[in-house]
Amino acid sequence: MTLAEKYKELIDLAKAHQLNVDDSGKVLRVEGTVTSSNVKDQLWAIYQRIDPHFKSNDVILNVKTNVTEGGKVKVVTMQSRLNIRKGPGTDQPIVGKAEKGDIITLISKANDQWWLVRDNDGEEGYCYSQYLEPVQ
Amino acid sequence: MKTLRALSMVALILALGMGATSCKQVNDADLQTAAQELLVANPDMAGVTVTVADKVATLTGTVAVDSVKALAETTVAGVKNIKSVVNELEVVPPAPDYTELDATINAALADALKDHSKVTAEVKDGVITLSGNIAEKELPTLMQKLNALNPVQIVNNLTVK
Repeated sequence: MTLAEKYKELIDLAKAHQLNVDDSGKVLRVEGTVTSSNVKDQLWAIYQRIDPHFKSNDVILNVKTNVTEGGKVKVVTMQSRLNIRKGPGTDQPIVGKAEKGDIITLISKANDQWWLVRDNDGEEGYCYSQYLEPVQ
Repeated sequence: MKTLRALSMVALILALGMGATSCKQVNDADLQTAAQELLVANPDMAGVTVTVADKVATLTGTVAVDSVKALAETTVAGVKNIKSVVNELEVVPPAPDYTELDATINAALADALKDHSKVTAEVKDGVITLSGNIAEKELPTLMQKLNALNPVQIVNNLTVK
């Protein structure tokens, strides 16, 4: 089975949202930005249904959600509170914590991994972007 | 007298023959040197070897792109007294350089792995190879973080618990 056949559902949804799809190599690459985190979640749900433990090693699904600076983001940690750090890196001291489910403000993006946020107590610092989801 | 004449003819033929042979060898070797010197002058042609036999040059070795293969041929064809060029060069595109990507991934990896203490990762040529073990419910989070680093591939050797 080719990558295009195996991941047809994933590719179809990705193309419907104007993402870049490249199945010419041995790894299917899906890249781009979507406007809604729902689409990103759907893509990951499809990928996980096809390959439950991500063991095929044949996909790179690098889809980011479009998030505007100054907009609101939700804390989507698994269970723990999210560390807010002084600088962009886990080696930086923790200056605060945000509760799971909190909706806080995105000030700016330091890079793809670290975003500067302001929590509801007015505290500012950097959080790991994977645990933040834009709120529409 | 006859014998002497015959002998001298033989000697003359031998001398001419040897002279012709040695003259031809010097010629080919000189042509080869001249051609190789021209090729060496261009760093793109460092992988090209030229041999000359009977004034015919043969190019062997590898180059990175088609245009260099063609250029090597015209360069050697331009050497005076080269009759023709046999171009046996192979075009082998250079391996992509992943040094920068590896450095970027490595820099971000510590943060991505921080919440997954039993997972270790190695990065080489843009490929992240995971080993160790992880709880099933944490796996999607980890995979999303690693995919966001835009690697060439993720090789997942994790034991999922």
